[in-house]
Amino acid sequence: MLVAFTLICFSSSAQKYLGNRLEKLDSISTVEELDIVQLSESDDWQSLETEVPNLGLSDTEQWVRLVLDPSSENGKLIEVQNAGIDELEAYVICDGRLIASFERGVMNSYKHEDAIGTYPTIPIPLVECNRMVVLFSVKSSKPSLLPVRIAGPREVLEDSHARDVLFAAYFGVILVMLLYNLFLFFSVGDKSYLEYTLFIFAVGGTQFVLNGYGTYVNLEAWPWLNLRVTQFFGVFSGLTTIVFVQNFLRLNRYVPWLHKLLSFYFIVYLIAFGLAISGQLIWSYNLINFCAAAIFFFIPGAIITLRKGYKPAGYFLLAFTIFIIAVLVFVLKDTGVIPYNAWTFFALPLGSAIELVVLSLALASRINQLKKESALAREEQLRISQLNERMVREQNTKLEERVKARTSDLEEMNSTMRTTLEELQSTQQQLIQSEKLASIGQLTAGIAHELNNPINFVSSSAQSLRRDFEDMNEVVEALKALNPNDANLPQEVDKIKSHLAQMDIEFTQKEIDELLKGIQDGTQRTSEIVKGLRIFSRMDGDNFIQAHINELIESTLVVLRSNLKNTAEVACFLADDLPAVSCQPGRLNQVFMNIITNAAQSMEQLDRDRSENLVSIHTSQVESPGQSWIEVRIEDNGKGMPEEVKTQIFDPFYTTKAVGEGTGLGLSIVMGILSDHNAEIDVQSEVGKGSEFIIRFPL
Amino acid sequence: MIHVLYLDDEVHNLTAFRAAFRRDFHVHVTTEPTEAVRILRDQPIEVIISDQKMPTLSGVEFFELIMPDYPNPIRMLLTGHADIDAVIDAINKGQIYKYISKPWNELELKGLVQEAADLYHQRQAMASEGEQLMERMSQARTLASHILIMTQKEQNPSEKMDKIGSLAQQINDLLGG
Repeated sequence: MLVAFTLICFSSSAQKYLGNRLEKLDSISTVEELDIVQLSESDDWQSLETEVPNLGLSDTEQWVRLVLDPSSENGKLIEVQNAGIDELEAYVICDGRLIASFERGVMNSYKHEDAIGTYPTIPIPLVECNRMVVLFSVKSSKPSLLPVRIAGPREVLEDSHARDVLFAAYFGVILVMLLYNLFLFFSVGDKSYLEYTLFIFAVGGTQFVLNGYGTYVNLEAWPWLNLRVTQFFGVFSGLTTIVFVQNFLRLNRYVPWLHKLLSFYFIVYLIAFGLAISGQLIWSYNLINFCAAAIFFFIPGAIITLRKGYKPAGYFLLAFTIFIIAVLVFVLKDTGVIPYNAWTFFALPLGSAIELVVLSLALASRINQLKKESALAREEQLRISQLNERMVREQNTKLEERVKARTSDLEEMNSTMRTTLEELQSTQQQLIQSEKLASIGQLTAGIAHELNNPINFVSSSAQSLRRDFEDMNEVVEALKALNPNDANLPQEVDKIKSHLAQMDIEFTQKEIDELLKGIQDGTQRTSEIVKGLRIFSRMDGDNFIQAHINELIESTLVVLRSNLKNTAEVACFLADDLPAVSCQPGRLNQVFMNIITNAAQSMEQLDRDRSENLVSIHTSQVESPGQSWIEVRIEDNGKGMPEEVKTQIFDPFYTTKAVGEGTGLGLSIVMGILSDHNAEIDVQSEVGKGSEFIIRFPL
Repeated sequence: MIHVLYLDDEVHNLTAFRAAFRRDFHVHVTTEPTEAVRILRDQPIEVIISDQKMPTLSGVEFFELIMPDYPNPIRMLLTGHADIDAVIDAINKGQIYKYISKPWNELELKGLVQEAADLYHQRQAMASEGEQLMERMSQARTLASHILIMTQKEQNPSEKMDKIGSLAQQINDLLGG
């Protein structure tokens, strides 16, 4: 881009430039003022033979000679239509005499108070001369393009005005664009507008200084800046262009390699900026020119971006195509391929103006695209969020349904389980009850027998006693009837004696004794049984009361006596003075009865005499560290249990008895009762020798 | 008087029994089964009463024990409670005549003992009658065999007829004619 600007040379009219009349001195040593006349007539001047010669960049003066026609050109102005030349000095030599000198160019513009138009002009003095020569000394860090013409002051002024009008229009467009985009930036807040604004400012500013309007802002007041302003604007427009293009075309996303490349150019621009500051103006300028070639990458970048469906790239492509065509026209004009006229001259500003307008459209399109995209994104987001919401709602509904189903399943399961549990509990109760009933049945049979015996012999003895007493009474009556005065007394006594002998009085007396003893014994036993039964079946329910273990065991043995009668001998070794234990007596009796009955039954099956079957019951108080216990040991010498039986005896429904003979619950109930008493139970058994149940009640 | 043997482990029962029935029967009591066997051997026991529930052996077991040697005395079982299974078993096996539950009713028991004794005597009488009949039968058979022998002997026919006639008369007498 900058290439275009720096090559530019304005001409408002179609009139001819005097390039053909200019001559250049190829090699030159240092020139002193006095030598100028001599130099003007040197033989080394060579015709440049182009309409608009280009002297290129140079940090030393280059000399150009123009031979004037004094007759026709007197009083006119020589106009060098290049506002970018740093130093331009002109020397007017009339017939071998230096009659005037002028200092022009960027660095001297503040001295140029009588300037007409924006380009450097040199007035041709109104003097009589046979030969008038003008020598130009040119020194510039920018290409020294020399579109030189000679015209009357009026024509120059008119042309300048005409150009001013055109540029005013151009700058107007630029300014409008600039303000418009700045406004957009502030209202929309999109930073690409700011970038574009800076870009416009850079482009417009470059045109502004290149076309000599710097004087309008009194740029010559800062010579240092004035000298570098072209480079600065070059760097500035390069940087803003890169930033703008990178962001506008979204190169980062669509063409990453170009993005990286432009970033590289960005750095190079910064180097050029550094060079400009340090005074290396020519190097800086060349570097800027080198970077300007990056513009050609914009076209493929835009095409790739457009292909990827990014519509604003189309406007961008159009804008930059127009601009590049404008630059090409400009360059071709400068190299003489196409004519240097007003159209070609204005191709660049026109192209750049169109470019900017189109880019504005592009930007609008981009913003629209962004808006559309963001709207689409919002819509998509909305759609997704709606979808999500719907999904969540559906999911929730489903979840609720599942939860409901699950809950009802669970409730159903719960109720089934409750029912099952209730059934189990009732079954358990029934089983426990039936176990209780079985033991009660067993008991009542035993107790009935146990009670029947004393009742039998007591009642029978009573009847017999009556008869015996009747016999005795007979004797007593006979004795009472005896009369000591009766003469027959001895006969009567003999009669009684013989009666006594007949009734075997001694035997009867002995029998009465025995019967009375039996009655006494029977009543005692009956009362004992009743007492035992009362203790045994104390229906205190599940209340814990203080009771003596020995008493409980004795009462159990009383009610078991008849059951044990034809199975085993029971030997009790009950310790005296055992303290009472807090317990449920009724339930403990069940425990003792169960274990003692099991012991007896285990021996009943052995084929041996009853007297060999022995159940021994020991009670004692034992001490373990920190705890006193009452220990009850119930031992038998039955067949014992193998280990596998021993480990299962407390399991519910485990029984070694034949089907129907035992519920298998006895010992499991025992276990339950003992655990309610915090009691411990231990079983020792040896096959063939017997078993021992050891129960410890904590005190 | 009827000889009654009563076996029970409860000595008071024995005393009461003897006191109750000594005026009516010859009462033999004991607590020991071995003693009971001795009494059976030595005394003409007609009725045996045994308690069912005893420490060393049950009443039914005792009856089983003595039956081979003393099948004739009538056996009665005394039970404290209705041990129905044992009683049914005993009745079916023909071991006992009656069972009596405690506490006993004296009159009832007395009647039962008398009934049992009567039965015993009936059986004894029937048995001796049967024995007599068997004896007569064998004598008659012997005489009949004499007749057969005589018919094959070559003797004077009238003498033969006389002898056969007297033998037939004897057979007739034997068969209760």
